[in-house]
Amino acid sequence: MSDGKHEARDGLNAGEEAILRRVGYDGAAARSATSVLIDHELRVADSTLDGVEIMSIQDALMRYDWVQNLMFNLIAPDENELLRQAAELLHDPIGRFVYVHDGAKVSLPVQSFTVLETPQKRQFTHNVTVIGKGAEVEMISGAAVPENVQAGHHVSIDETYVREGARCRSVSIETWGRNMTVDSYSRSEIGAGAEMTSNQIMLASLRRHLSDTKTHIGADASCNDQAIIFAPEGTERNFQTEVFLTAPGARSEHIARMVSAGGRIINNSLLVGETAGVSGFLGCDGLMLSDDGEMVATPSLKAKSVEAQLSHEASVGMIDAEKLAYLMASGLSEDRARDLIVQGFLRLKDEYVPEDMRARVTEMIAAAKSGGM
Amino acid sequence: MTEGLLELRDVSVSVGDKAILRDVSLTVGAGEAHILLGPNGSGKSSVLSAIMGLAPFEVTKGDILYRGQSIKGLGVDERARVGLGMAFQRPPTLEGVTVAEFASALDASARLATEAEALNLGDFADRDLVVGFSGGEIKRWEVLKLFLQAPDFLLFDEPESGVDLEHIAAVGAAVNRLVSAPARDGSKRGALLITHTGLILEHVQADMGHILSGGRIIHSGPPKALFQHIQKSGYVAPAA
Repeated sequence: MSDGKHEARDGLNAGEEAILRRVGYDGAAARSATSVLIDHELRVADSTLDGVEIMSIQDALMRYDWVQNLMFNLIAPDENELLRQAAELLHDPIGRFVYVHDGAKVSLPVQSFTVLETPQKRQFTHNVTVIGKGAEVEMISGAAVPENVQAGHHVSIDETYVREGARCRSVSIETWGRNMTVDSYSRSEIGAGAEMTSNQIMLASLRRHLSDTKTHIGADASCNDQAIIFAPEGTERNFQTEVFLTAPGARSEHIARMVSAGGRIINNSLLVGETAGVSGFLGCDGLMLSDDGEMVATPSLKAKSVEAQLSHEASVGMIDAEKLAYLMASGLSEDRARDLIVQGFLRLKDEYVPEDMRARVTEMIAAAKSGGM
Repeated sequence: MTEGLLELRDVSVSVGDKAILRDVSLTVGAGEAHILLGPNGSGKSSVLSAIMGLAPFEVTKGDILYRGQSIKGLGVDERARVGLGMAFQRPPTLEGVTVAEFASALDASARLATEAEALNLGDFADRDLVVGFSGGEIKRWEVLKLFLQAPDFLLFDEPESGVDLEHIAAVGAAVNRLVSAPARDGSKRGALLITHTGLILEHVQADMGHILSGGRIIHSGPPKALFQHIQKSGYVAPAA
């Protein structure tokens, strides 16, 4: 069993490191803690800080008796068949546990990655993250496959606890094989006065992706979430998102920017104001680059108090001809003008993205549009 | 007659079934700046849009020549690449596309800082194009855009309107610098400007003015005299 810090790493080979760098991996000098799960093996679990522990979920269950109460706490195993199968693996769970101690101010990001290295593999992971009271941390997470892996099935469950007064800024990037299926279930509990900012970058092609997310936001806590989603031909992405504003002062902003280049994107999002004094916004904008794709955007609001302030915006359309003509009137070709507009549409708010990831995210957006991902 | 850098020959323009311009002819020679005057709705902006090839303006009759070659069949980007550039009156917003990225796309990053500073837009590199720009900032940006593009023939759609007095001299000087600078091949540039206020005439040495009314050019003459005539008598042709 590891002690959660300064664990000797078995190491990544050069190829693994290269594919992970594409989704945000960096060396130990630039990160406070690292975990890398390859197929069903937690290959790396290192921390260089006393205030950050990172280890396999099995080790965490042995080390801390309270961890067992956090697993399948925010998500029920009987929600569907996949989750039931995952729960049956509880005797031998695969995943990683991150624990940022109360009050820890972590200057370098914590990074956590999953790799599916074996073609046609079925990978089940269950991750638990605890950001302690008053802690501050940036998280970078990603998923990747080697170029030879085109088919496989990845199922992930993530349960995240952001405790009272904690601040967490996260970015996640995934690149999968073009014939892969991915089912990701994410549940978060944002404690009183905590701040959570998350960025999800989902630009690669894959066959089918289901993202099922539920977030509960406590008193005076905030959650800003922005997702950029790209679906080339042959890709279907299905997002089911629910945000619950559970106590006075809870705030949320959930923004999705979606581009279909022949793929199908379904985005059903629900914002629930459960009490007075909460405010939230759902923004869901889609850009269709061809007639071959399909986009369904359904933002819903549910208020349980007259003093819950909830709003939403949704739009789906093609590239504005006036904007295209404006750029072309400066001599840019139609393709270059379209690229600029699409890249601008998918641009994340810089202030929400960890600084050392901004350039990489910009590169990825450019690569996605040009078919480079 | 000066050899035309840009020439409109009996050009009629429609939007759908609606005729906007009728039999418009004008010739702007190399090294010349012409101004276009006319009341609201007279078709001034339509002239510029038709030259630039912007939708929904369709040339239904006549021809537009640039350096002696018809450009009627060229797309808007092709017209820009042969040398035309236009400062829009109401440019669209481009969320997520920064001034710096746009300059880079035009291979003009090297001259962005200097020209932006000259137009008091020195801190605009990271701003999204036109998003949140004030009326005056839009005009200054459109002039800056032409510095980045460096076209040989310049079309200005009311470059001074909405610009506060503090910046009008900078905009005027910048427009004049653009118009009087040599083209990429060392030849002289040409320009066609729309003005309502006439303030731009204090900065740009215009060679010819045209009054457009009801979609037709009803009179051409020396620009300052023409402007004084309009201030006195309105947009009518002076008595012979």
